[in-house]
Amino acid sequence: MRRFSGPRALSVARKEIRHVRRDPFTLAMAVGVPVLLVVFFGYVLDFDVRDIRLRIVDRDNTPASRALAETFTASGYFKPHGPPAVSALRLLAEGRVKAAVFIEPGFAEDIARGIPARAQVVIDGADNQTAGVIAGYLDGVATVAARRLGADPPADLLRTRFLFNNELNSRWFVVTGLFVVVMGVLSILMTALTVAREWETGSMELLLSTPVRPLEMILGKLAPYLGLCLASTGLIYAAARLLFHVPFRGSLWFFLAANVLFLCCTLAQGLLISVLTRQQQLAMQFSNLTGLLPALLLSGFIFPVESMPAFFRILTWALPARHFMELCRGIILKGAGPLELARPALWLAGLAAALIGWASVKFKRDLEP
Amino acid sequence: MTEAAIVVEDLTVRFGDFTAVDRVSLRVERGEIFGFLGANGAGKTTTIRVLTGLLSPTEGRVVVAGLSFERGANAIKARVGYMSQKFTLYTDLTVAENLEFAAALRKIPPEIHRRRSRDLLDFVGFHSRPDTLVRDLPGGLKQEVSLVASLLHDPEIVFLDEPTAGVSPAARARFWVLIRGLAARGKTVFVTTHYMDEAGECGRIALMRAGAIIALGAPDELKARAFPEPLYELHFPEAPPVGWRDAALSAGTIQPHGLRWHVTVRDPRRWEDARGLWGATARIRRIEPSLEDVFLRWVEGPA
Repeated sequence: MRRFSGPRALSVARKEIRHVRRDPFTLAMAVGVPVLLVVFFGYVLDFDVRDIRLRIVDRDNTPASRALAETFTASGYFKPHGPPAVSALRLLAEGRVKAAVFIEPGFAEDIARGIPARAQVVIDGADNQTAGVIAGYLDGVATVAARRLGADPPADLLRTRFLFNNELNSRWFVVTGLFVVVMGVLSILMTALTVAREWETGSMELLLSTPVRPLEMILGKLAPYLGLCLASTGLIYAAARLLFHVPFRGSLWFFLAANVLFLCCTLAQGLLISVLTRQQQLAMQFSNLTGLLPALLLSGFIFPVESMPAFFRILTWALPARHFMELCRGIILKGAGPLELARPALWLAGLAAALIGWASVKFKRDLEP
Repeated sequence: MTEAAIVVEDLTVRFGDFTAVDRVSLRVERGEIFGFLGANGAGKTTTIRVLTGLLSPTEGRVVVAGLSFERGANAIKARVGYMSQKFTLYTDLTVAENLEFAAALRKIPPEIHRRRSRDLLDFVGFHSRPDTLVRDLPGGLKQEVSLVASLLHDPEIVFLDEPTAGVSPAARARFWVLIRGLAARGKTVFVTTHYMDEAGECGRIALMRAGAIIALGAPDELKARAFPEPLYELHFPEAPPVGWRDAALSAGTIQPHGLRWHVTVRDPRRWEDARGLWGATARIRRIEPSLEDVFLRWVEGPA
């Protein structure tokens, strides 16, 4: 009795394509805006810290102390800053320097006598993010300096090497993450308005007066936007490769499949919102609320999922963006395949089926509330 | 066939505490033009939505085109056409695209759709190009294309919910020619309207008030039932004689109609007395009640 009709779903899709084609502005928005956002924020967001303003207070003033100071400036990460007349603490308080190094009198003597020499580092801890990075750099610089000064090199037992991203180039990481966030947010918006618009203009009454089935409506409305989003994914891929030189180590086919699964999730989420709200403005607000913040904060884009409180960590399982983030970083940066990434891929497939089903069930055939 | 097109028995539709349709019963014969009248919010559209399979009845029996509601709303949807009160076509698609979409949703084979939409566009007198965007059509034409969209599957019964609201008088007249044409083709037409002149075109009409049908019958029957007493139009071209109102009120009830009065005479003897008293100052003629009189008396008057 309740048979799904492919041709009917197809005619819904054809109708949606006609809507989009008559509206070049929407078309341009859908394809062009995501790549613009990724390029723009890809340049802006940079977690690498360079040219940190550093105040060096050399109270020893010997060849050894000058050599230490020079090691800092020669590293490329630090830049001496601040007029000598102003005290280092004041510069730190005013935020004019991020760190200060105090080399105490007797520094050279201590080295010559082979006892631990004293130099103190003060870091502006108000900005957690950069403080951590600076501390890491300073450690490295201190090791180098110790070796140069002929002092006992610190135990050199652990040598760290970063796999997949040797230089820890944060841009690769950022651009890949941005791609997930931008596509996630914008694809929800694309479908969020379509059903609500039919309610507002009255065409829903025509649809409901025919025997069309909810699943045919949902799939018919989803398919054209899936195509649009994949086109914009292609553009972002090109931009990431050409402008940011992000390596692509995995399989393109697997990447495409992951994209399709993810977009099915977000587009169905948009349709669900549209079906439930029946008003374009409300649908817009809801999709921003359920799309932007979770994708930005809970997907692992910036804050690692592993370090979230247990409740939120479990919550993120229901977020398509979290699984897609894992897939993208795995495929693009590590070259991982379906075997290594089976878990997030299956989660994404499950979520896509659940969201499409949910939207179809909620697609009300009754006109009254 | 002897079976009626629509049989409704004790239909009730409730939304929470609100009863939108209250034990409505009616029967519409095949080929009839059935008018549905009532103030806004009287329950007309809700009733139509049940009859077109868009809304499930809370209680009652509904048989449309020989199909009861229990057999599934989709079976009913296949047999009836529905033109909603709202404009339901996509304004950013062309006439042809809209019709093609409506036909595809009803799984009408392309060659049948092409022939039928050409016939129907001819029938409604649509002579613009089918690749015109709907938003570029004038209001009357839009309604006619809407009608075509609701007729593509050749339904036995056509439901028209205020099809002529907001179009020009000329377009209204044209649309009623189409409605009569549909009935002549053997279709049952169920139409709601606010215009009394349109109601007069219907074979029978039902008057709805607060979810219930308060009168049902042919227009003339309703007039005779609402106004069993003779109705006169009273007009004083010059200054009316002193005390005329009391004299008229002693004979019946009066209602203002512009500068004239409609007098419903309950006591013919007193009426003759009053007429004698006024003499030539009064112009009096016997009139037939209009449907508007009926509507005012039953639908908008005191319950």
